[in-house]
Amino acid sequence: MNAQDMDPQEAARLWAIRVQQPAFGDWDGFTEWLERDPAHLAAYDAVLDDEVWAAALLSAAPAVEPEAPPVRRWWLAGSAAVAAAVAVLGGWAVLDRDAPAQQIATAPGEHRTIELADGSRMALNGATRVTIDSDTPRQVVLEQGEARFDVRHDASDPFVVLSGGARLVDAGTVFNVLQDGDALEVAVAEGAVIYEPGPDEVRLAPGDMLKRPGRGVKPVLAKASPQAIGSWATGELYYDNPAPDQVARDLTRSIGRPVRSAGGTGRIRFTGTLVLRGTPEEVVARAGPLLGVTFVVDGEGWTMSPAHGPPR
Amino acid sequence: MNRDDDISGLQRVILNERSRLLRFLAARGMSDDAEDALHDLWQRVAAAPSQPIADPLSYLFRAAENLVRDRRRSTVSRDRRHQDWHDTIPREEQPTGERGLIARERLREVQSTLAALGPRVELVFRKCRLDGLGQAAIARELGVSLSSVEKDLQKAYRALGQLRAKFDAE
Repeated sequence: MNAQDMDPQEAARLWAIRVQQPAFGDWDGFTEWLERDPAHLAAYDAVLDDEVWAAALLSAAPAVEPEAPPVRRWWLAGSAAVAAAVAVLGGWAVLDRDAPAQQIATAPGEHRTIELADGSRMALNGATRVTIDSDTPRQVVLEQGEARFDVRHDASDPFVVLSGGARLVDAGTVFNVLQDGDALEVAVAEGAVIYEPGPDEVRLAPGDMLKRPGRGVKPVLAKASPQAIGSWATGELYYDNPAPDQVARDLTRSIGRPVRSAGGTGRIRFTGTLVLRGTPEEVVARAGPLLGVTFVVDGEGWTMSPAHGPPR
Repeated sequence: MNRDDDISGLQRVILNERSRLLRFLAARGMSDDAEDALHDLWQRVAAAPSQPIADPLSYLFRAAENLVRDRRRSTVSRDRRHQDWHDTIPREEQPTGERGLIARERLREVQSTLAALGPRVELVFRKCRLDGLGQAAIARELGVSLSSVEKDLQKAYRALGQLRAKFDAE
C-alpha cells in the first residue's frame, strides 16, 4: 500500500482496516510505515481507540434495521414451477425435486450456480462434477473441481459435502471446497465447517483453510482472506500477495485454459481483485500488468513468469 | 506429528525471526519493552491450540499485534482511572440525570453524523466491530463489494475520530 503522499490520519485508518483482515500479510510494510514517523504510531493507536470508544457508545443503542437486501437472492418465482426438469436460466438452475440422483458437470471455464432443494446455494467453477440425490437433499458429493456453498444452516439436519473421501459438515456457513485428484482444500468464508467429525475432526472458522495434499496425508491449516474464499463465484479473484502457483491454478480453473507458472520463487506483489470478465485472452491481458507478470502463449494456454523491470 | 512438535515449530520460528518480530514490536510502541513482549508472545504461543499452522510467521505477527493491543488496553484503562481521580471537574458534581442526557445526545450526534455519510456506514461499523463479522462476510451479506465496505469503514473512522476529539474538548 502506498501511503507516501497520504495524510497520516488517513493512512492510519487504511492500515487499521487492512490489518483487521484475516489474511493480511504486509507486516513488513506496516512496520516500515510505523517507523517512518512517530506520528504514524500515534495516529494508528488513535484509530483503535476511536473504534473501542464508538463501539461502547453504539452498543447502548438498538441496531439500525438493515434496509431490504438488494436482489442478490436469486430465487425463481413460483416454486411450483420447479416440477419441470432442470431449468437453466441465465446460468441459474433449480433442481427437479422428483428426479433420481443427478450428476451435474461444468465444462472448463464454465460457471454455474444451482439452487438446492433445501434453500442452499451451490456455485460450480469450471471442470467441476457434483452429484445430488433428492433422497438426501442435504448432501452433495463433489467429485472433481471446485464449488462454493452458501448453506441454509440447520443444526438438526446438517448440510454435508462428501469430497475426496472426506466428510465436511456445515455448521452455518459459506465455504469453498476444492478437489484436485486426491488433493483437497476447504476454506470457510462465514460460519463454520467441521472437517471429518469425530476424534480427529478439525473445526474451521471464517478465514481458516484446510489443505490435504493427498489421501492419508495429514491436513494442514492455513489462513485465507474470507473475501478471497469462493470469490471466483462472483466473477472475481481476490488476492493478497499470492504465490504464483496459486494464481496459475485459479486462472486455469476459472477461464478453462491451462496457465502454468514458470519460476519466480517470491510472492506476487499484488493486493486486490482480478475481474474475470470477457474471453480468456481478455482476462490474461488484464491480469499481466496488474500482477506484474507476463503471459506467453503456450499450447492451448499460457506460461506465466515474473515481468522484468522495477518493482511496482 | 504431536503437540510438542508444533509448539517447538512455532517457537523455533520466533527464534529464527526474532529480530523481525522485535522490530515490529518496537515500531508498534513497545520500544524498551519489546524483549519483554516477545517473551510474552513466546508464552502465549506455548498455550496455543495444537493444530498445525501453515503460515507460522503471519500467525506470529498477528499474535504480536493482538498482544500489543491487549497491553495497551490495560495501560489505557489504568491511566484513565488515574486521570479520573484527578479530574478538575469531579464527576460527582454532575447530576446523574445530566450525564445521561449528555450521553444520549452524543449518541444521537454520532448516529446522525454516520447516517449523513451513507446508508450503510453505521451498519457496516456495527457488523464489523459489534457483531465481529469479517469485512468480506459483511460485503456478501449486504450485497455490496468489499471495496464499498472498506470505504464505509474509512468514512466511519474518520467521523468517529473527529467526534471523539470534539467531545473530549467539551
